[in-house]
Amino acid sequence: MLRIKSKRKKILLQILLFVMTVPYLLPLLQMFLGSLGGRGFYNYVAVWNTGVVPTYFRNSIIISAGVILIVYVLSMTAGFGFAKLNILGKEAFFWLILVALTLPEVILLTPLFVTFQRMHLFSTFFSVIFPLAALQLPFTILLIRNFDAGIPSELMEAAKIDGATTSQAFLHVILPLTKPIGSAVAMLTLINSWNSYLLPLLFLQKPSMQTVTLLPQYFQGEFTNDQTKILAAAVLTAIPEIVAYLCMQKNFERGMSAGALK
Amino acid sequence: MKKRLSIRNNGMIWILPAFFFLIIMIYYSIFFTFNLSTMDWDGLSPTMERVGFANYTKMFKDLVFWKAIKNTIVYFAITFVVQNFLGFVFAAILHSDVKLPTVHKCLIFIPTILAPATMAPVFRLMFSPQGMLQKFFDFAHIPITVDWLSKPQTALYVLMVIVVWEFTGMSFILYYAAMSQIDKEMLEAAQIDGAGNIRTLWTMVFPGCKGTTVSLAMLGVIGALKTFDIPYLITTGGPDHATEFLGTYIYRQGIRQSHLGYAAALSVMLLVMAVVGAFLTNKANKGE
Repeated sequence: MLRIKSKRKKILLQILLFVMTVPYLLPLLQMFLGSLGGRGFYNYVAVWNTGVVPTYFRNSIIISAGVILIVYVLSMTAGFGFAKLNILGKEAFFWLILVALTLPEVILLTPLFVTFQRMHLFSTFFSVIFPLAALQLPFTILLIRNFDAGIPSELMEAAKIDGATTSQAFLHVILPLTKPIGSAVAMLTLINSWNSYLLPLLFLQKPSMQTVTLLPQYFQGEFTNDQTKILAAAVLTAIPEIVAYLCMQKNFERGMSAGALK
Repeated sequence: MKKRLSIRNNGMIWILPAFFFLIIMIYYSIFFTFNLSTMDWDGLSPTMERVGFANYTKMFKDLVFWKAIKNTIVYFAITFVVQNFLGFVFAAILHSDVKLPTVHKCLIFIPTILAPATMAPVFRLMFSPQGMLQKFFDFAHIPITVDWLSKPQTALYVLMVIVVWEFTGMSFILYYAAMSQIDKEMLEAAQIDGAGNIRTLWTMVFPGCKGTTVSLAMLGVIGALKTFDIPYLITTGGPDHATEFLGTYIYRQGIRQSHLGYAAALSVMLLVMAVVGAFLTNKANKGE
């Protein structure tokens, strides 16, 4: 992109990149150094010894898996329908999605609180999984619609001439081609469901059901405000996220590049 | 042609599951909120009192509501420019011949994946007199006290720094994706003709990424209006409502103080602004 001829300018560009990147590292450094304050590594032992860490992780995994499953299936089918099939009043449905895209989480709290209590869903994992999936869907449907629109329709028509139904064409022609956008959708959904704070805070009242985002607060209880342990808890929550991202980084980037947003 | 249409006119069943879900969760909630916004209810009493538009007239006289709007506008204007400028520059540099591109990409994107709830305690420490910034100033003998989060004049700007830190990765990855589709030969031809780097970036690359910029503007408007986690967790909207956003104010009124009718009116207002904002940016995109 940039054309650099001289060796000196090349080094300057490298230094500029380095200087620009360092500020992004500082908060992580602060988190790590802060977590070792006071009694050092013992902070991690103390966090682990509360016994809640595995439970909180398990709950976050259950919730994220549930949200990803719902979002993946519903946005793959809907994105395909929007991109490749005829729908009566498509424009109107499209606007319904755009309105839903703008909806902030905080608006859902009271209506869902009342409804979930009536339906006896309150303080179950569903009370978090359902709203998170609904909040994620509009964006992922748009992403997949844009991606599917780029797949040549001839591929599907050819399958149809060979006698395939729409479902068969979807399963055997479209779905295998959507891997890049599929992993981008999975990654974005994982980020949003793993990081969700407000819904678990309000809708999962039992301590045994709480999630990793509530872990720092465990040490901000009524009697203690133990800064170093809060930060140790933050590091423990951050590590699996960073590892998951590093594993999926290549696929995620490919998905975003494959015309995710245009 | 007719036959082909009839074969292809079967999309409804494919979008219905998603819409069923959206209607139950989201459109039901919107309807509920509209209705609640004309009520006076504390969430506990079995009856709600219908008050018409009283919650709305109250809202327009509420100084904190206007403060939240002002904060949202300032916040959007500054973070949008800074975050996308940085994302664009990072993308341009990392598309060039530099060492360790993957390491830099990951470092820029990692903040985006970390939960605000996880990072909030870190930032509260970092921007406090016990944090690393203060240690640096003390070490360099610079007489600055890092108490910016507790001052109404500066707290909002600290939150903007945090938000830019968090979301540059998103701008970066979208610009990076857009730039990989720009014709390299055309750029090289212009550069051989003597156009400098800054000039090609500004006159060729940036216009080539226009779609991305518009998408980011739309996400930015919606995101600014939705802002909740970061101000709530770091400053709880304070000091003196200096970092109050509509989201935090709805939470304060609705969940903390049980003024559910009033919170619902604020929610309706927020939703209307988000839809109008999204509509206008979408229109700006199409009207080129």
